[in-house]
Formats: sequence, C-alpha cells, structure tokens
Amino acid sequence: MATRDENAAWSIIGYLLSGLLFWGAVGWALDKWLGTSFLLLTGLIVGAASGIYLVWLRFGRE
Amino acid sequence: MRSLVFLSAEGEGFVPPSSNDFELPPVFGNSAFTTKPILMVFLSVILVSVFFILSSRKAAIIPSKFQFAGESVYAFVRNDLARDVIGHEFMRFVPYLFTLFTFILTNNLFGIIPLLQFPTMSRVSFPYVLAITVYLVFHYVGIRKQGAWKYFKEIMFMPGVPKAAYILITPLELLTFLLVRPLTLSLRLFANMFAGHLLLLVFILGGEHLLQGVIGLKLISPFAFLIGIVLTFFEFMVQCLQAYIFTLLAALYIAGALADEH
Repeated sequence: MATRDENAAWSIIGYLLSGLLFWGAVGWALDKWLGTSFLLLTGLIVGAASGIYLVWLRFGRE
Repeated sequence: MRSLVFLSAEGEGFVPPSSNDFELPPVFGNSAFTTKPILMVFLSVILVSVFFILSSRKAAIIPSKFQFAGESVYAFVRNDLARDVIGHEFMRFVPYLFTLFTFILTNNLFGIIPLLQFPTMSRVSFPYVLAITVYLVFHYVGIRKQGAWKYFKEIMFMPGVPKAAYILITPLELLTFLLVRPLTLSLRLFANMFAGHLLLLVFILGGEHLLQGVIGLKLISPFAFLIGIVLTFFEFMVQCLQAYIFTLLAALYIAGALADEH
C-alpha cells in the first residue's frame, strides 16, 4: 500500500533522529554527572541502534 | 577570471545575502504587526478566500475554466491526500487539510511572484504555528477516538516486542510523537523556503553586482541571471512540493492517530 510506504519513509527519519537525541542526551547527562567522557559516544551508538531496531519493528517485519 | 573577481572586490564590496535579509522593517507605522510577512499572510487569506468563493459561486454542470481550476485543487486534496491516506473517515478532515494546503501553497508561491518575492514561511514562526495546529489536531483526534490511556499505550508499547526492549524504544516513541514530529514538520518547511530564497538572492544580487563591475564582469553577469531564472523555476517546484509534503504528513499523522493498531 502506497500510504504505508510513504508513512514509513517519513517516520524513519523521525525515529532515527529521536534515537540519537534521546540516548545521546542521556549519555551526555551521565558524563556530566559521573565526570566520564565515553558515555556520550556510548549513548549515541545505543540511540542509533535502538532507532534502527524500532524502524525494523515498525516497518521491517511482515 | 580570478583577477577579474579580485578587481571587483577592490571596488565597493559585495555584501552577500544573509539571514539579515529576512528581517524586514515594518511597511508602515512602527509596529511589529505591519511587517511584510504578516501583511502577506493576510493577503494570502484574502486571495485564497476570494479565489475559491468566486470559483464555486456560479457552480455549473459544465464548469468554466475558473471553476475547473478551483475544483481541481479541491479534488486533489480530497482524493489524493485525504481519502487515500486517512480512509473512510476522511471527510471531516478535508476542510482542515484543504486550508493547510492552499494557505501554505499561496504563501510559498509569494516567494517567486514579482513585487512580493518573499516566501512567508521563511520566517520560522509561521511554520511553528501551523505545526502546532497539526499537533493539536492529531493528538486530539487520537485521544477522542481511542481514549487517552489506550492512545498513549499504543504509542508507548508496541505489541510483540520483548519486554526488555521497551526500555530502549519507549522513550524514542514518546520523543518522536511529542517533539520530533512537530519540530521536523515545521523546520522542513521553514528551511526549504529559507534556503530557496537565499539561493535566489545570491544569484540575482550577485548578477546585479557583476553588472556594475568592469567589462569582463559585465559579460559574466548574464550567466548569473540565467541561473537565477532557472533556480526560480526550481523554486516553484520546491514550493509546491513542500506545501504538498506538509499536508501529506498532517494527513499521515491523523491517519496514524485514528488507526486502532499501528
């Protein structure tokens, strides 16, 4: 269905973006709190991965 | 070529267009409510209303060209956007989507209409307000249809996912629905209009500046104007496309809120 594909195309950007934003922000905050420096990067990677996972859950499995 | 550019740089300096070009002074009086973008918004409301009232007032079985133009736009929004995306409940959203589409399209097209030549949506507040209305509409519709608890449960907890994964993805779903969607919706429209207008300014003001230079530069300036004209047609395409995308996404969000299962 065309609508579903259109929906997917626009939603994917949003999900990937919020993945990076949310877990990146969590990592950054933990870095500030604990005085470390690797958690921002960890957060970004976790965010990107969970964003992709979410996209797969929503649109990948049939 | 390089020396020619250098020569012109020695004369009166070329001021490249910047975001300052988007901050226009009041047209009359001293009020912030009489700036060009605001007057253009009022103008667009008048234009859209008058056009569609006139094109539908003398509706006939065999339509005039005028009536045909009005009905084509209406049919496009009703059939291709609302009906295909939302489904059987589409009719009550047609007025809203139709208003969105015609309003944004008119305001975008102001960017290339001679004498007006400023896309209203390149001032970010206008897309923000439009996105806020979309935001209110689709959440309201979802909550009315499914009840607040069920609506948010559907957003937060997708069925058929291992429980541990909710820790990772529930925040993302919430963030997407509550923040990223309206933000990307408004910024996409704003950034396209802003960048397009800036691009036209660069080539047309640049061409004008070259025209004031030495003879070698005068010979180059037609090419700058030519690219400016080509880009104007390109802008026309972008302006129509962005009005369409904004309305399409509004319809998709409403459809998502109405759907019982995602």
